[in-house]
Amino acid sequence: MIEDKLLVFRFKRGRSEALRQIYDKYKVELLKLAVSLIGDVNRAEDVVHDVFVKFVQSAERIKLAGSLKSYLVTSVINRVRNYRRDSNRHCETSIEGAGLLSSSERGPQQWAILSEQLMLLSQALQGLPYEQREVICLRMEMDMTFRQIATLQGAPVDTVKGRYRYAIQRLRLLLNGEVEK
Amino acid sequence: MKSAETIKRLFKDAELSIHPDTDERVFEDVLQAQQKVKESLPAVPERIWRIIMKSKIAKLAAAAAIILIAVVSLFFFGKLLAPSYAIAQTIEALENISFLHVIMHDDAGKIVDERWIEVGPDGFQRRYRQENTNRLIVDDRKTCFVYDRTKNTVVIYDPNEKQYQWIGNLREFFQDMAGDSTLTIEENVDYHSRKAHRVRWLKLNQECYIDAQTKLPMAVGPYEVYYGQPPAGTFEFTIPEQVKVYDTTAGQWPESQQDKEIADRKFDEARKLLAKGEYMQAANLFESVVQLQRGSNWVWFWLGQAHYKLGQYDKAIEDFTKVIEKIIAGFKMVPHYCHLARGLAYRAKGMEEKAKADFAIALPIMLDSLRNIDGAMIFDYADDPLYQYLPVDQRPTKEQSFARMTERLVEVTGKNFIYKPGMTPEETEQLIQEWQNWWQQNKTQYQSAP
Repeated sequence: MIEDKLLVFRFKRGRSEALRQIYDKYKVELLKLAVSLIGDVNRAEDVVHDVFVKFVQSAERIKLAGSLKSYLVTSVINRVRNYRRDSNRHCETSIEGAGLLSSSERGPQQWAILSEQLMLLSQALQGLPYEQREVICLRMEMDMTFRQIATLQGAPVDTVKGRYRYAIQRLRLLLNGEVEK
Repeated sequence: MKSAETIKRLFKDAELSIHPDTDERVFEDVLQAQQKVKESLPAVPERIWRIIMKSKIAKLAAAAAIILIAVVSLFFFGKLLAPSYAIAQTIEALENISFLHVIMHDDAGKIVDERWIEVGPDGFQRRYRQENTNRLIVDDRKTCFVYDRTKNTVVIYDPNEKQYQWIGNLREFFQDMAGDSTLTIEENVDYHSRKAHRVRWLKLNQECYIDAQTKLPMAVGPYEVYYGQPPAGTFEFTIPEQVKVYDTTAGQWPESQQDKEIADRKFDEARKLLAKGEYMQAANLFESVVQLQRGSNWVWFWLGQAHYKLGQYDKAIEDFTKVIEKIIAGFKMVPHYCHLARGLAYRAKGMEEKAKADFAIALPIMLDSLRNIDGAMIFDYADDPLYQYLPVDQRPTKEQSFARMTERLVEVTGKNFIYKPGMTPEETEQLIQEWQNWWQQNKTQYQSAP
């Protein structure tokens, strides 16, 4: 198996097949993360599209301290945060209020096709405060440790753990199910 | 923590697939961005060098740098020049190679993966054969055959659409390696009783052994590499008897994939029919999706709704029961919307006690959702098979969800505490209170139902 670092190395040397491999390897995971965080398929598609374009444009400056996956996940998180900040600035309704998915708006242009379970899960996630949503997605979807999430959020580990606990409790309610006690 | 595990399973089971046409367009955008970056890489113009070198300090620094490079070069001459030359020799040696034979062994020395690769003059793969325990892949440039011994299937692909490969262009791999500063070379080491150069690419944690005589790679990572002619017929494939063949170039995909596509199309169509009130046709289509062994719990749920609307209450109860059992078994969760639906089906059959038992499960959550309206979303979703396709601005608002939930409560309980548009917050609070008081007074008769 060709490792990520080899892929990045080859990509930085302008090899488009390496870019293709990176793109194919991570697009679904990143789309799932973005959909879960934003709750709007079209916006999530835009975010991931932008992340890949930015990744290419920054090729010369990319210096991976950790894994390629962490780099791309962080890029998605930053872009989602920017998007939320901009939409809160320009619109009266915040993204929390939007809440619902629009998988059909793009019609034939649709990139990501969501299973119903992902759609419902994503909708339920929109009922969480954003920081909690970020913690739960990074933990559940991307298998990140609390320490890694704490670094990403610039918060103490205990705060992140607290957000996680609240998010689980709230999700149980939002998913309208009583999880086995 | 069990609830965390269940939610994690929900995350992992929630699937997302990619629309292939759009995917290609998105990748083209990304590729174009890469192309633009390549085109716009600035070369340092000669003029800037001249400006810099006009400075006295720059001139002194340049002189110092030249002296330093000369000293360092003399000191490291023996160490540096020979290894970098070895890599160049490997690249050159690979230019004359037409076949690679790549083998990987397990710890017991048994071959677990074997590949033959024909390499073109440009260094890129031409024909390819790979064999491991379960699969044999043969790509003769015209057709790519994938024989899965465990499934007893052969899938035929167009090599332009699907290509299996090892490391890609091996010459390019070494060219990339040669240009990297984290390369270390240890000359004349022993590799399986042969003299070799050990090349370690620290940055990528890769290790290769180069034959000291031929300068060709003997091993790349866990793979041993040889360069002989392959036996006759290596790149030929004869389809074994009694295997199932799928020729994807003729639109025949393996059943699982084909079934999924057909099931998805039918499921979509059935939902539309249900929404239009064409219950019989919708039920037939939902049933055909179920027969393909496909579909989520929602196929069963909406099949139940179609049966309910057709007055086929026994079937509806059976369908809803399947959903409840599947969700409890799979996710350890209770689908309250489905208990509501099954309760209504029992009631329609005149089985009031059974209906109350289901309502006893659904009602607390329905009442709770009057305060936490997000909880009503799943009931709205269950009510509308086309909810998924609604644009954001056409989805029910929180007020509409609230109103709809009070209607459901009225239907179940017969009470008339209903939401009227334009109610003030105080009136809404009073309405919620009325519902809660009613539940406190009546819950025992529901909860005591068998």
